[in-house]
Amino acid sequence: MIVVNDLHKSFGNNKVLCGITEHIKEGEKVVIIGPSGSGKSTFLRCLNLLEMPTSGEIIFDGVSMTNRKTNINQMRQKMGMVFQHFNLFNNLTVLKNMTLAPVRLKRMSKEEAEENAMNLLHRVGLADKANSFPSQLSGGQKQRIAIVRALAMKPQVMLFDEPTSALDPEMVGEVLDVMKELADDGMTMIVVTHEMGFAREVATRVLFMDGGSILEQGTPQQIFSNPKEERTQIFLSKVL
Amino acid sequence: MEYYTQWKALISSGEEVTFWQNFYVKFYQAFIEADRWKQYLNGVGTTLLVTAIALIIGIIFGVLVAMLRTAHDQQLPGHRNPLLGVLNVVCSIYTTVIRGTPMMVQLLIMGMVIFSSSRNFTAVGALTLGINSGAYVSEIIRGGLMSLDPGQAEAGRSLGLGYIDTMRYIVIPQAFKAVLPALSNEFIILLKDTSLITCIGGKELLYAAQGIYSRTYEAMFPLVGTAVIYLALVMILTWLQGKLERRLRESDRR
Repeated sequence: MIVVNDLHKSFGNNKVLCGITEHIKEGEKVVIIGPSGSGKSTFLRCLNLLEMPTSGEIIFDGVSMTNRKTNINQMRQKMGMVFQHFNLFNNLTVLKNMTLAPVRLKRMSKEEAEENAMNLLHRVGLADKANSFPSQLSGGQKQRIAIVRALAMKPQVMLFDEPTSALDPEMVGEVLDVMKELADDGMTMIVVTHEMGFAREVATRVLFMDGGSILEQGTPQQIFSNPKEERTQIFLSKVL
Repeated sequence: MEYYTQWKALISSGEEVTFWQNFYVKFYQAFIEADRWKQYLNGVGTTLLVTAIALIIGIIFGVLVAMLRTAHDQQLPGHRNPLLGVLNVVCSIYTTVIRGTPMMVQLLIMGMVIFSSSRNFTAVGALTLGINSGAYVSEIIRGGLMSLDPGQAEAGRSLGLGYIDTMRYIVIPQAFKAVLPALSNEFIILLKDTSLITCIGGKELLYAAQGIYSRTYEAMFPLVGTAVIYLALVMILTWLQGKLERRLRESDRR
């Protein structure tokens, strides 16, 4: 579904990604782990071109994202993204947050979008917050809204950029539960996270990144119980 | 009316009058005789009209210039749009020239040079004020756009919304709230600066006052009256600003 070919990214002289080649198939739940500064988030942000790769190719759903003629906005409609800092639109109510894109992009009528949004809100138990503003919500609530906002576009793949890192510890669980449910529904997911428990439980594949490349990958079983690379062993010994 | 003619005759014949008699005569002369209050009223009407026109031009120019310049600054390296580059240069010349020259000089150049054949001084004045205001508004708005968390725009783009939609529905409403105090300041200055169009013959409030005291040879009452009217207008504007701010703060309820 997503093919990444020799992806490079530098910010000025700082090389952040040094040649990543990866193939993510439909239905996979890929969890990316690694120390901070290893390029995990940059890699994820390159997938929907929030960061423009310096070189290399990304093919999503048979279309080259990196081709300049590709309509990026159209491609992004098929990729939901959840951010570390939620990034809910502070000037809009929860319901408007969720219906703005589907209605503006003519994916649904206003009524359909609202119905769809309410169904999603029911699923995450936040239907009573439909008319609240983001500033009235807790971190965990915001992140659950952010997830269903992305889902409201009915994307084919969901990208999660450290979705629980900015949350109070007691709120991490509620967000992970939503993500697990989503995984059970068969959504293709790419998750950058420090939640090793989540990786172990949900991932079909774990990538370990360090220094801008993928050092090691495998099933959670292989990575967590029997890591081959020394760097992976050191990292895991520190976080587990 | 009787008192006015009576006391005026006393004053002109050089007799002693009380302070209040003198006050009454001058007040009557400045505001009531020959229905002069209508001239002030017309003047206020023109002042408000010019302010409104200039405000609209200023906001349109300001938003356009601010959006072009932020769009230019936010381009990714290696993906620069040449058209945007040219427009950015035009915009920065505009702000530099307008902010770097006095308002009065701009009015005179527009009135006496560029539109020297036009008789509609008020319209020329409104246009000049609008162009002038746009330069300041653009910098205020640019500041607001830059102060906003880039994550807001990123979230919009990640949903597939285009640059324009993201700006229109997400970034600008929030930036507008942040810059409202600075913007109100600019509009208060604009309202008061409409008095400058008198110098090219625009018939606003100050023009009316000047016309009156050049006839009565009594400047204090028309000028103080004008000052009071401007003060009242600005206070109304400030009150409206407060109301608007409270309404925009709706999304901050906790």
